[in-house]
Amino acid sequence: MNAIEIVKLSKYYGKIRALNNMSLDVAEGTIYGIVGPNGSGKTTLIKALVGSLRPDTGFAKVLELDPLKDKWKLRKQIGYMPQSPALYDDLSARDNILFFGKAHNIPDLKKKTEEILLFAELTSRASDAVGTFSGGMKKRVSLCCALIHNPKIIFLDEPTAAVDPHLKIQSWSLFRKLAQSGVTIFISTHLMDEALLCNKITILRNGEILAVDTPQNILQLGKTRLKVYVNNEEKISTIASTPNNLAEELKKFGLDKNISSITLHTDNIEDIILSIIHEKVKEEKT
Amino acid sequence: MNHTFIIAKRVLSQLKNDKRFLALSVIAPLIIIYFLKLLLDTFPSYVNVKNYTIPFSAFIVHFLSFILCAILLIQERTRGTLERMMIGGFSKTSIIGGYTLGYFSLATLQAIVVLIESIWLFKLNYDTKTILMLFMVIWLLAIVSVMLGIFISTFAKHEGHIFPFIPLIMLPSIFLTGLIQEKGLPIWTEIISKCLPLHYAINIIREIIKPEYNITDTCIDFGILLGYVFVLLALASFTLKDSK
Repeated sequence: MNAIEIVKLSKYYGKIRALNNMSLDVAEGTIYGIVGPNGSGKTTLIKALVGSLRPDTGFAKVLELDPLKDKWKLRKQIGYMPQSPALYDDLSARDNILFFGKAHNIPDLKKKTEEILLFAELTSRASDAVGTFSGGMKKRVSLCCALIHNPKIIFLDEPTAAVDPHLKIQSWSLFRKLAQSGVTIFISTHLMDEALLCNKITILRNGEILAVDTPQNILQLGKTRLKVYVNNEEKISTIASTPNNLAEELKKFGLDKNISSITLHTDNIEDIILSIIHEKVKEEKT
Repeated sequence: MNHTFIIAKRVLSQLKNDKRFLALSVIAPLIIIYFLKLLLDTFPSYVNVKNYTIPFSAFIVHFLSFILCAILLIQERTRGTLERMMIGGFSKTSIIGGYTLGYFSLATLQAIVVLIESIWLFKLNYDTKTILMLFMVIWLLAIVSVMLGIFISTFAKHEGHIFPFIPLIMLPSIFLTGLIQEKGLPIWTEIISKCLPLHYAINIIREIIKPEYNITDTCIDFGILLGYVFVLLALASFTLKDSK
């Protein structure tokens, strides 16, 4: 079953196209990544899905509910972590989580708050005002606020930007655990390496979908470049995404004593995503 | 209703934690009233300064309640907490209700301190009934101002956007509602004056301080002032969008 269904969704801000005729489906219990540079429409898409933004055309269904018409039913079942921390600086971490948790009438809210503070390694600072926290710590509190009511779908807008590597690993481990328990994670990121951690990704640019696939299939689009320096002259040979035919390529150069170095560069996910974006830019120019 | 109290509690805690804001909300009107005393002391003796004292005090509360409430609500918007509250399951009715309830206490505090200082500083010999009636008017005006602040804040994207509304709403209140000049203004200015809540508050105050005051003389003005609360509440509910 699909947790999210988007059909021909478009949103314009004046003449600026934020989302262009976008259609995609997100299966339940998956980690779905929206990858793209700044201004590609990631936040607009999330806001349309949580019912904070009215699309100009098309429609979306989240848990088979309309984000605008059924917003009260839907908002009980979704968690949302915005790009900015969106917290009360004068309140403590604990009080922020309690405040947003109270909107959902959660039983044992205090106990749950302590548990989630422990997970985010915030227990020692739980009573301190959020205004005294670093950017990364504020993100942790914000994530706790999004998770406190055990939502069925969590919308995370760049959750790990400005977060230290340790918490980033921890956050992703939690996302995986949540997905295994059936929670759908819809995550936007401009950090291309995070795309590899998703079950499926959509690459966005200027509100348009450039590619939808699993990270593994996207990796197959990459190339490996073999650079051989013969008499200080660079000779480049491009081979398939996985260098299975490396031996064949190397044979061409034989055992030439003038070979001074051989380097092999296989495209990583970032190279591939950027090349997909660049190809689109080139296509638009021509 | 529960959500309204949760938000009101948070507003109160914010006010309590923000010492500078709280001090400004309470101390600023006290200082301004003292300046008013210095100004009115320069007036010739045939001018009845009692006619200006309480109306000016009411205006100060009106102005400060409006601007402080509007700014805090805009801060909620720019910080993203307003959007998060709405997506998080708080209804806009709860948000407006919570804010009103939260500021209700601040408005009450402002009305009390302003009235006490004015009576003490200007040596006004009003009986308890008159003082209570004056408190009622200033307090009601403060509630109207909070509603006005909530309503106007929906048109602003950041704090700076609130400033154009000061000359648009507050300055006409000073010049046209009878605060300074009771009579002699062109007839057409009455139309503008009657659109401003301060006009009705001043009408009531000037009636209350008359020795022959009868509450029935001010029923209509009281009703209109109360009407402002509900109309602005309805307008704020309508303009505060939870989806753009």
